[in-house]
Amino acid sequence: MAEAYPRSDSESVSSSDNEEDWLNKPGDEDEDEDREQISVVSLLDDKVFPDAPSMLAHCKDKFGFDFLAVRDRLGLDFHGCVRLINFVRRSAKEAAPLPQEITAEHLADDKLLIPVLDDDALIFCLDELPASAPTQAQDKGKAAEKQAAGNGEVPVDELLQKNAQLQAELEQLAKQFTNYRLAVEQTLDKRWGVDEEGEKGAASKAAAPAEPEKKQKDESAYYFESYAHNDIHETMIKDTVRTNAYRDFIYGNKHLFAGKTVLDIGCGTGILSMFCAKAGAARVLAVDNSAILDKARENVFHNKLDGVITCIRGRIEDVTLPVDKVDIIVSEWMGYCLLYEAMLPSVFFARDRYLKPDGLLVPSHASMWIAPVSDAEYLAENVDWWRDVYGFDMKAMQAGQYVDARMTVMPADAVCGEASAFRMLDLHTAKVEDLVFEDPWQTTLSDKAEALDGFLVWFDCFFGESRQEVVEAKLSAKEWAAAGRERVAFTTGPFDTATHWRQGLYLIDKGKAKEIEVGPGKKIVGQIRYAIPDDHARGLNIRLTWGLEGGDKQSQTWLLH
Amino acid sequence: MAGESMDIEVAEKQLKALEHSEQHYFNSYNHHGIHEEMLKDEVRTRSYMNAIVQNKHIFKDKVVLDVGCGTGILSMFAAKAGAKHVIGVDMSTIIFKAREIVKVNGLSDKITLIQGKMEDRDALPQACWTRCSTPDRYLAKDGLIFPDKATIFVAGIEDGDYKEEKIGFWDNVYGFDYSPLKETALSEPLVDTVEMKAVVTDPTPVLTLDLYKVTPADLAFSCPFDLVARRDDFIHALVAWFDIEFTACHKPVRFSTGPHTKYTHWKQTVFYLKDMLTVQQGEKVECSLHNRPNEKNKRDLDIKVEYRLETQDPNRQAEGTCLYKMC
Repeated sequence: MAEAYPRSDSESVSSSDNEEDWLNKPGDEDEDEDREQISVVSLLDDKVFPDAPSMLAHCKDKFGFDFLAVRDRLGLDFHGCVRLINFVRRSAKEAAPLPQEITAEHLADDKLLIPVLDDDALIFCLDELPASAPTQAQDKGKAAEKQAAGNGEVPVDELLQKNAQLQAELEQLAKQFTNYRLAVEQTLDKRWGVDEEGEKGAASKAAAPAEPEKKQKDESAYYFESYAHNDIHETMIKDTVRTNAYRDFIYGNKHLFAGKTVLDIGCGTGILSMFCAKAGAARVLAVDNSAILDKARENVFHNKLDGVITCIRGRIEDVTLPVDKVDIIVSEWMGYCLLYEAMLPSVFFARDRYLKPDGLLVPSHASMWIAPVSDAEYLAENVDWWRDVYGFDMKAMQAGQYVDARMTVMPADAVCGEASAFRMLDLHTAKVEDLVFEDPWQTTLSDKAEALDGFLVWFDCFFGESRQEVVEAKLSAKEWAAAGRERVAFTTGPFDTATHWRQGLYLIDKGKAKEIEVGPGKKIVGQIRYAIPDDHARGLNIRLTWGLEGGDKQSQTWLLH
Repeated sequence: MAGESMDIEVAEKQLKALEHSEQHYFNSYNHHGIHEEMLKDEVRTRSYMNAIVQNKHIFKDKVVLDVGCGTGILSMFAAKAGAKHVIGVDMSTIIFKAREIVKVNGLSDKITLIQGKMEDRDALPQACWTRCSTPDRYLAKDGLIFPDKATIFVAGIEDGDYKEEKIGFWDNVYGFDYSPLKETALSEPLVDTVEMKAVVTDPTPVLTLDLYKVTPADLAFSCPFDLVARRDDFIHALVAWFDIEFTACHKPVRFSTGPHTKYTHWKQTVFYLKDMLTVQQGEKVECSLHNRPNEKNKRDLDIKVEYRLETQDPNRQAEGTCLYKMC
């Protein structure tokens, strides 16, 4: 593992001459050439001038604004001049009148270091402007320096010029950094996705991947690719909570499968299809859009099940199945926090298109849970750790901790209150719209609540034997399974064997959140919202709202990308 | 002139050109996890720290280039050791975090961070010292590289249980034959920790890279070597690791990523053999290791291992060739 981020060679990183300009020292020979071509835009209107002095003269004559006088009065250095230029340009742009007398306070805002005008030529020829009228003190100093110069030392003017050049260079670098940061912020906050998605509203996007747009296709290509390798399948198959549940349900209910036609969506290596075939299914259609399907086909062949199982590569929405209807749909579609990956809409599509009216979905129900978390040790090792890394403060690395949900296996005793089931999906009847929602939740804190550090989200999965089966909304997998003989269900929560789904940990940004009074018996109420990010149709955007019952509420949003 | 607006465009273009999956990395914990892992690797980070801060006389007033600077930790060590200026370069968007980190630690005037590929930047200041993987272009005549020496080691290991779990697993998956995935599993070297007691042969140095002299062409290599069994045992796999040296230091600093020493995030790399070798103490396995960058993706490695067990016992004689792809 190398420290540098692995750079794929396909990344287009252009290295234009311009890109390197900022590293060249001013005073290069071609600088004069550049100067001849410049056009200086007036500070106060949109007239253009071939050089700075004529523009400033124009401003003085027409608007009574004397740039040099203000500069000298405030004793502005290079930075100060840049601030002044941007202050005046900003005012002009916003059509705000200039103050009677511009003071240092007006120029205090650091945002004034960001150019209002791209390529502001005025900033680049600042050191060409007439020097300020020297004050007496400066005069004295100058005289002394001149004397020194007379003694064979470097002339003061040269030093001053050099100094100005270095300052300009520094300023360039500072701007460079500001610009990078700005570019990145803008790009991240607003621009990604927007360009390609055009003006379409977030609402229509959130409705799901109905129209396959170009960007979504690309994203899906990446998604399907990620399932092409052994590792992920090894992890899933070796997740015995998951695989045993499917096996136990299928082998334990052979009467449901005997002679039936089964559709397996996202079959991967084909394990669930082979369970169904062994359980007596007459025909199994195994569909996957990942390259792993080639391996599934081989697996099916080696296990002499190719007479029963047909492997089909493609998206379920696109492929043509050799049958019109199926009796059973088996799928392992669950993602982190249940809905990450957005595979469930594909299962709904197949259900509505291919499943017989009395057909069965395996699994049949899924529910989502949330609980409050208090874990000082976790915070110390994973969050506060960044504040002292070999003696350096790396708090910049902490930002992401509150932006992203973290997939982790939390110890049961980190949970500091009752778990709350906030949504139960009956997969036979649920619709795509049910996957974007805002639900209420509540909890009563336990004696483990030393502080409220965050929230934990997980899901339970139920394997009903018929469409008529009802799973009560607040019943856990364990309770439901215990209530009937040979019922199959599993949880991905913190109180049982860990699964490859782990749990979703949502850390509260304590720098922003208000601390609330915690302790045994305190009741917390709130909302949880699942939405789909504009720029990532397979991601999740989760907003939590919380507060003491009857008290103020606060909220925070996390991403699963 | 158009410098800074160009930079916005370039930065934006670079970011947009990234795969969707990579775009989110900028502010993503999931991406930063790798830096956390590297920083928390004490063997690694402490070795660099010692090599740098214990050699202030070397770093004082020098210009230092940090190639692949990540969070900037090594640049900050160099700055603390008295470097005149440090230039950190990284392609990853982690560079934006590194800038914030450098600023918070009051080192912005000593460290300049540049996003880009080392190969694409022709405008770095000319005189650069120290830790530089492109010495031909930037390193001063008497410049130093930290670290400057890397040695690859190989040993044979007894790893029956784990081979069964990782490779044999595919023979019977819930009652099904998964042999197609077994072939894939065999061709993927496994990055994991190996216990010292599993090592059956003497660890053998296979290749030493002198970073002052090495060229890209040297990274495609073929090396013959012999593994001598220390005891009667079975060999299921070869394990490879590397040692790193900072020879320029006053008191040389080195660390190893082998099975005999402390854990590092590089762990070791295990190459399972198709056959199991049965060896007796003192017997020799003649091997050769061939390595070359993959033609399609230069960061992937195509690796070939050839082995032949020399023994008087015809029943134990074995030889074979295994192909691996490391990505």
